[in-house]
Order: sequence, then structure tokens, then C-alpha cells
Amino acid sequence: METSFALTGKGYLIMAADTTSARSIVKMKVDEDKIKTLSPHLLMAYSGEPGDTIQFAEYVERNIRLYQIRNLYALRPAAAASWIRRAVAESLRSRKPYSVNLLLGGYDTATDDPHLYWVDYLGTMAEVPFAAHGYGSYFALSLLDRYHDPDATLEEGLATLKRCIDEVSKRLVVSPGAYKIKVVDKDGVREVEL
Amino acid sequence: MPAMVSAAQPVQRSFNPYTENGGTILAIAGADFSVIAGDTRQSEGYSIQTRYAPKVFRLTDKAVLAVNGFAADGNMFVKKVRQRLEWYRHAHAKDMPIRAIARLIQTMLYARRFFPFYVYNILGGIEEDGTGAVYSFDLLIYFKNQTPAPGTAFPKHLPLSTVLPLVIDSFTSATERHIEVGDGLEIYIVLSKGSTALQSLQTIRGIQELTATNDGERVFVIRRELKKD
Amino acid sequence: MNSFVERYSATSAVGQLRKAQRLTEEEEEFSDAAWGSQAGFGNIMNGPPSFTVPNVRDPAAFLRLHTDDHADPNCRIKIQHGTTTLAFRFQGGVIVAVDSRATAGSYIASGTVKKVIEINPYLLGTMAGGAADCQYWETYLGMHCRLHELRNRERISVSAASKYLSNLVYSYKGMGLSMGTMICGWDKTGPAVFYVDSDGTRLKGDLFSVGSGSTLAYGVLDQGYRWDLTDEEAQELGRRSIYAAGHRDAFSGNTCNLYHIKQDGWTFIGNYDIAKMHYDGPGDVPGAPGGGYGYDVRLAAANSTEVAAA
Repeated sequence: METSFALTGKGYLIMAADTTSARSIVKMKVDEDKIKTLSPHLLMAYSGEPGDTIQFAEYVERNIRLYQIRNLYALRPAAAASWIRRAVAESLRSRKPYSVNLLLGGYDTATDDPHLYWVDYLGTMAEVPFAAHGYGSYFALSLLDRYHDPDATLEEGLATLKRCIDEVSKRLVVSPGAYKIKVVDKDGVREVEL
Repeated sequence: MPAMVSAAQPVQRSFNPYTENGGTILAIAGADFSVIAGDTRQSEGYSIQTRYAPKVFRLTDKAVLAVNGFAADGNMFVKKVRQRLEWYRHAHAKDMPIRAIARLIQTMLYARRFFPFYVYNILGGIEEDGTGAVYSFDLLIYFKNQTPAPGTAFPKHLPLSTVLPLVIDSFTSATERHIEVGDGLEIYIVLSKGSTALQSLQTIRGIQELTATNDGERVFVIRRELKKD
Repeated sequence: MNSFVERYSATSAVGQLRKAQRLTEEEEEFSDAAWGSQAGFGNIMNGPPSFTVPNVRDPAAFLRLHTDDHADPNCRIKIQHGTTTLAFRFQGGVIVAVDSRATAGSYIASGTVKKVIEINPYLLGTMAGGAADCQYWETYLGMHCRLHELRNRERISVSAASKYLSNLVYSYKGMGLSMGTMICGWDKTGPAVFYVDSDGTRLKGDLFSVGSGSTLAYGVLDQGYRWDLTDEEAQELGRRSIYAAGHRDAFSGNTCNLYHIKQDGWTFIGNYDIAKMHYDGPGDVPGAPGGGYGYDVRLAAANSTEVAAA
């Protein structure tokens, strides 16, 4: 089942999402990237209703890009999260809402700190130090409560993420096989391997 | 007060514009002819509404359409197809070729994707190259041309003298065992230009020609009685 | 403000003109169809096709009530569901293989269905789910691919074509369309396979299988798949996988249609009877090992050669 995690640390944010795309009992694809890079310092992991996810993510991606083209600077994480939450909430009140759950993580270059927002399909938003969506969240949240350290180094952060992934692999019946992991910090976005 | 009680009950209304009027249609394509047949009984449940309601209709000199399912939708559908064919005739001064009619029917059916005609169609006739053709349609939906797969000889073409008794026997036996089949049988035969199958038609009792000229495709109809119980 | 009033007022001169224009446009649309011809453009110039919708509060629920054969097996309108289709990319191009059975409930409506839709000489689409939905929208896609060629003097990429289809079916999401299709072809980027379904999912990949028999086809396909398969090996793998699904899945069967897409477009390789493949194999075709694919047949052949060797 679809699972995504994100956690903040000292000057960075790590985001991980599984890479399987399933239909019924079949994995149609095992290397799908479900984390979009919205701007040089902003990541968005999306999951939910097939079709809605891609359409919504591309809609957000293009609008954030448009803002950047028009104003010559990118939205800061808090502003982007606000706009995206609003898009979800407005869609919820339309005839056909997008059923999409999101994790928004960014690095604010003005204040030099990472921000993480948890957003669900109802337009609920919370700023949190760590977050998870999907079945994986039932295992990972307690684990992160126990092990997460906002002042940890990147190596320690990745080690905590590894704990989450290992726990889900160990206990979840329908655990995802592989994850894509991205880090955002002052230098921008990069992909990492565990 | 039972009336009060029943008035207090919630009433669920639903919109059901469909019924099933029974009957059977079939079509067989030969090398240079096509046979399209249907019985004439129209029923709903256990009651017979009429003993003569045609299900097979001549569209042009080379295309015959059989419709089965919900009779009201079927008649309306044939009417609409004929209208489009007439418009085509006025615009182009010729009859629409059968493969184009098949495509037309496909798009007409699919235009009702969200409110389907409850009609199963079979279209039979002669292609522009003179070969016999049968197109069958799903409810909404697209056609399948029953022609041999490339490189194979299936389905094998039968001669008309074999096909006609086969059709009559099929309907006779269906009538024996199915309550919705019976009363009358109409068999349309479409022959391509200069078809050799013409000879075998001469001896058939009560055969009637529907085409006025004998220099193009020719359409014949054979009517037979089926058991009426 | 003035222009705003003019734009929306029904009584102003411009408003009157607009209304008249609208009316003639409507009439125009009708009269084109009435003449059975639309000046050679077909109905494609009028934008997306329109559909008759029942005059009820929830048309999608109406359709569901009359078509959904899972909820009510006795309901009148049945839609074809069972199928096995597969497509994969390899060193020598793309292989597309499908079965040919159409079922309505447990009734085999046809054994000679063409489930590969030839969109144009470089693009193939496969058909799983609602036969009509696939046929109609892939034909429609074909028209737009041709328009793209005429407008841009360049063939449409497989990616763009599949995205066009994906966006189209996404706009009908929740209305009951049912399709799972692979859009396959060869463009500037080389061989390409995209999976598109009526949920709006669109995936790029090397290997896909769709339909009720897809799990069975995957079983054979995944095990035999390599990027550096030869053309003959790849064709044999496609054929063998469809046989496997046709043999184990009751909703799939009859025959297998095989296509191969190379740089210069697709070619139809052949039609193979699944029962015949079970006992005798696909016949004398390149890549076939000789002998039937059936488990018993395969063992019997192996035993007889052992005896001969001894």
C-alpha cells in the first residue's frame, strides 16, 4: 500500500515515498517517482486516488512554476503550503474533488530552516516536525515520536528514516518494495540512496 | 387506517425505461451473398404482444439491418439510421457503403454511452468489393466484422443452398424450445452483382424480390410460418 | 463597465448579434449532420463529441443501475470485461500480444475480437475493459494524432498521444467509462509503451499486462523477459504468455493476435489458435521451440526424447 514519510533535521528535510504503482492486486510499475520537485527548495509527496494524484500534482507544479516565472522568485514553503491547501479545500467543495493526500517539505532560504506540512484530502493542514501518510503511518509515527531529533545531522536523520522503512517492511502485510528518498537543504533538492 | 400507514412509508422511485421484447435474429455471410433473418414474435414476459412485428429491415440495396432487444428503442434506432442514410443519399447521390453504415451505427450507439439504446444489432449485406459481410454490434457499442483472421479460412463460406435450410431449421428448432421465438420468420437475402447463388433461389417457394432492377445488388425476402403456440 | 454590460446584456445590439450567431451556429451544426457530410472534416471540428444523457438527477447512477453486472447479475445491460493483453519494450522494438475472446457474464459473445486497435502505422492501442470505450476513444485518438501530424508536420510522440487519451478519459471520471489500455509505438525516443486506464492513471514502462488474465500472463512474461531478447524470442514470449493466460483464465482464450513494432512502424505477425498451441504449438514460426505448450504435452515430449536418448 502507498506509504510516504518525511522528517526535518538540522538544516535539512528528508522525504521518502514508495515507488510502486498498483492496480487491484497487481504492481503495474515499481519505479514510479511520487515526489515532485515544485521549486528549487520545495518537495511534494502525493498519494491517493489514481488519476487524481497525477492531475492534481501537475496542476500544483505548473501553478507554483507560473508564480516563479511571473515574480522572479519562488514562494516560501509556508506560502506554497497555504496555496496548495487552499487548492485542495476548494476542490473538496466542487462537484468532483481531488482525493489526494500530500506531504509538503521545503527549506526556507530566508530563515534557513526546514518546514514540513502534512495535508490530507479534506484540506486539513498541520505543520509538523515529521509526518507520514498511508498504512506506513501506523507504524512510523510512534517510532518517530521515540527516535526523531530536530537537531540531528543528515546521517542521523537518514538512519531514523531507515528505521521507519525497515519497520514497515517487517510488520506491514502489504509492504512496498522500494522507496525514493529526496533531501532538501540550503543547496536545493537531491536524491539519496540509503 | 391502512391507507395512512402506506402513505407514511417512504417510496423509492426509479427510472426504468427498458424492457425486453424477446425474439431472435441471425445473419450469415457467404462469399458473394449475405442472409439476415429474424422471427416476428414480440413478447414481454409471458404475454405475446403481437405475432407480426418485423425485426429485419432493408436499409439500402446492399445493406439489411436486424434489431433485437427492446422493441421501442429498436424501431426508433432503425428510424434514425434510415434518416441519416437518406440525408447521405441527398448529399452524395449514392447509397452509403456497408462499412460506412457500420461505422455510422457504431457512433450512433456510442453517442448514447450514458443512456444506451437497449438494442442488439446485426448488419448484413455486400461490401463494395462484392463480398458478403456481417457486422454485429454490442449494446452501446462497436462492431466486429466476422471475417476470417488473416491467413486462415475460418469461418468457411457456405453456399446459399446450404445456408437457407440451415437458417430455417435453426428457427424451427428455436421455436420448439423457446417461448419467445415463433409466429413468423423473415429471411432477407442480399446478392452481390452477378452472384451465382441466384439460380438456387429460383426454386424457392414464395420468394419475393425487393429490388426493382437486376443490374446491381439484389435483395430478396422469404417469409415462412413458425409454430404459433 | 460599458463593454461588460454589452458583453452580457441580452438586449444590446451586440447581445442580439451574439444570440443570432449562437442560433445559426447551432443550426449549422445540425445541417452539417443532416447532409450526412461535414465538408470532409467529420464531426471532429465541432470539438469533443457530445452524448445523450438521461434526464435524471444522477446520470452516472442511472447507468450503474442498468449496467453494473457485479452488483446485479440479472441486470439487462452487460458490458464485456474479461481479457488478457500485454505489451513490452525490448532491444528490437515493442511486442504487443492479446487474446480474442469477448465475454458478457459467463457467455462467450465472440471468439474473434480484434483487441489491438491500429491507431496509425506507428501506434497501436490495446483493448481491455469496455470494448466500446476502448474502440471509440482510441479511434478518436487516431483522428487527433492525424490532426497533430497535419498541424505540426511531425508525428505525435507516444507520450503525447497517451497523455491526450489519459486527459480525455480523466474528464469522464466517475461516469462509468471502463478501459485499461497500452498505447505502444515508436517515436524519436525509440520504442515506447504507456499504460493508460479510465481512472486517469498513465504510466511509462517497459512491460505491462492488463485484464483478468494479466496476473497469469505476468507469471510467464516476467520470468522470460530480458531487454536483449532477439526478435524471435520476444515474439515467442508474447505468444507463450497469452497462451498461459488463455489456458488458466476462463474469461480469456480462443486466439492470440501478435504485433511487432519496429522503427518503420508496426507489423502484424500472426493469429494463433490457443487450443492448437496447447497440443501442437504455434506451428512453424520463428522462435517457437516446436511441440505444444501444454503441461502434459510438454512432459510427454520430454519423456519420449529421454526414452529415445536411452
